[in-house]
Amino acid sequence: MNNLERAYSTSNVETVEDTKFNIKSFEKSFYSKTSMYAFFATIFLVFTMWIGTGQFAKIDLMLAGYMIASFVFVIGLIVRVAAWLVRPATKQLVKTSIQNLKSGNRSKRNVKSIVITLIENIFLQKFIFKRGIYRGIQHWLIAWGCIGSFAFTFGLVFGWVHFRLIDATTYQIMVFNIPMISMHANGFFAAIMYNILNITALMVLVGVIMALVRRLHNNDLKVTERAEFDVLPLYILLAVTVTGLFLTVSYKFLGGFIHPELALIHQITVVLFLIYFPFGKLFHLPIRPLAIGVPMNYQEEHMVDTRSCKKCGTKYSSDDQISDVKAILHEQQFDLQLEDGSYLADYCPSCRRRIRAMSQLNLGSVKGNPYGPVQTNNGIHIPGFGRKRSDEFYNKEEK
Amino acid sequence: MNKIMYLEFERCIGCRSCQAACRECGGHDAKERNYVEYVDFFESRQTYPMLCMQCKDPACARVCPANAIQITEDGVVLSAMEEKCIGCRNCTFGCPFGIPKFDFEENKMYKCDMCYDRTQHDIAPMCASVCPSDAIRFIDFDEMQALRRRRTQMNLIEGKKPTEQDKWQYVPEFFGVYSD
Repeated sequence: MNNLERAYSTSNVETVEDTKFNIKSFEKSFYSKTSMYAFFATIFLVFTMWIGTGQFAKIDLMLAGYMIASFVFVIGLIVRVAAWLVRPATKQLVKTSIQNLKSGNRSKRNVKSIVITLIENIFLQKFIFKRGIYRGIQHWLIAWGCIGSFAFTFGLVFGWVHFRLIDATTYQIMVFNIPMISMHANGFFAAIMYNILNITALMVLVGVIMALVRRLHNNDLKVTERAEFDVLPLYILLAVTVTGLFLTVSYKFLGGFIHPELALIHQITVVLFLIYFPFGKLFHLPIRPLAIGVPMNYQEEHMVDTRSCKKCGTKYSSDDQISDVKAILHEQQFDLQLEDGSYLADYCPSCRRRIRAMSQLNLGSVKGNPYGPVQTNNGIHIPGFGRKRSDEFYNKEEK
Repeated sequence: MNKIMYLEFERCIGCRSCQAACRECGGHDAKERNYVEYVDFFESRQTYPMLCMQCKDPACARVCPANAIQITEDGVVLSAMEEKCIGCRNCTFGCPFGIPKFDFEENKMYKCDMCYDRTQHDIAPMCASVCPSDAIRFIDFDEMQALRRRRTQMNLIEGKKPTEQDKWQYVPEFFGVYSD
C-alpha cells in the first residue's frame, strides 16, 4: 500500500466514523467529562430561564448576583458529584441500583424501598431522631428550611416562577410562563406565598441556634469537631438567615430603614453560602438520595440478613452485597483471597477477627483439612513458659 | 503521634476492662468499639483483644460508596462521618479483619479510632491505659523493637518445641509443675 492509498483509506475510515453521532467523540471536544456535564447543565439552565422569563422579557435583574452565584453553585455541585461518582465503590452502587431499577421482576421491591426511604430517611429523618430528639429537631428544621429556601430562591432567580397581576385583587403564579394558580392578593394562600422565605428562614434560624448551642456546650463534640468543617457552615447559615429576616423587619416595621444596604449585605452572604455549599459539610445533602440504594439492592427487610457465613453459618449479609463488595475490592487490587479460594468477605466479621488472631498466633489450620479441628500443637515455642532458661539469657545486661 | 500500639494476644486474661474503658468514652454512646473474644472456646479459655489495624490503605474506606471514612494526618482511620454515611454496611464486609460495627437504629457505622484525640498528644488510648496484663500497650517504637527482639531471642535460645511426650516441660513454672 503506498502513501497515497494509506492517506485515502484513513480519511475514508474517519468519514465513516463521523457519520454516526458518538458521545465519546463529542466528549473529546471538552477538557473532561465533568466540564461537558457542567456545560450541558449551564445550557439547560439558561434554556429554562429563557422559557420561564418569556424570552428574558421578565427577567429580574435585581437578582443578578444570586443568579451568577447559582450558576457557580450548580457547576460546583456537578464537579463534586462527578469526582465522587468516579470512585469504584460509588460507581458500583449506582450501577447496581440502575440495573435493579431496570429489571422488571424487582419493580415491587424497588417502589417499596424508594417510598420507604423517601418518607423515613429523607423526609422524616427518623435515624437522626434516634440519635437524639434535640439533634433530630435541629437537623430537620435546618434541612427542610434550607431545601424550602433553595426551591423558592432558585424558582425566582432562574425565573421559573413569577407572579402576574390579572386584575386589581388577583395575582397569578406563572410556572415556566404557564399560568398555574390564581389567588386573591390579600388572601391566606397569598400571604403564605409572600412569606415563604420568612417561614423557612425562621426554621433555619431556630435549627442553627440549636446546633450552635449544642456545639458550644457539648464537651464530647468539642474534642473531635473541626471549626472550619463543623462550625463554619452554621455561622454562614446564621448570617444568611439573620440578614434575610432583618430585611423583612426593615421594610415591615422600620419603614425601610437601611434597606438597600441590608439587601446588599444579604446578597453577599447568600453568594458566599451558594459558593461554599458544594465544597463543605453541606454537600451531604445532594448525596443523601443514594441511601435509596441500600434497601433496594442489599436489605430487602431492615435488619434481616440472608447470607450465611462460610465458617460458622451465622447470617451476616446478603449475596448481592457481598458480590458487590468483592467487585469493588477487586477493582482496587485488594487481594483478600484465602488459600482455599474463598474470600475474606465470605466470612462473618467475628470469624474474620478469629482468622486474624489465629494466624498471628500461628494457630491457623495450616495442615490438613482447613475446616477440621484446629491443630494447637504447631511446633512453635510460645515464650514465657517454664523450662529453665539458659544462663546466657539471665546474665544479659538489662537495657 | 510518636508511639505505637503493641498487642500481645497471649497476655490477654479476658477481663474485658478494655471494652469497659472504651464504653466510658464520651462520644461512644456507651457502646464499645473493640473486641475481646475466645481464640477457640473448645480448646482453651485463651482470649484475645482486637482493635482496628488503622490500615495505610483501608479497605473499609475504599468500599464506602459515600466516601464517609476519613483518615487523619496521623494515619488513624476514623468512623464514618455521620452526615455522609448512608448505612449500607459495605465497610463491615470489606474490612479484612471484621472491625467496623454498625448501629441499625441510628443508621451509622462506628469503629475503633485509636482514641485519636488522646493518641495525637501521645496519651495512651482508653483500652491500653486500663489493661492490667499489658496485653494492649501504647509504647515507644524502640521499646516495641526491644520486646520483639526478645521474643525472637527466646524462641532461638530455647528453640525446642513441645511434643506430646514432653509438653509438661513447657508449662509455666508458677503452675507448680516441674519436670525433674
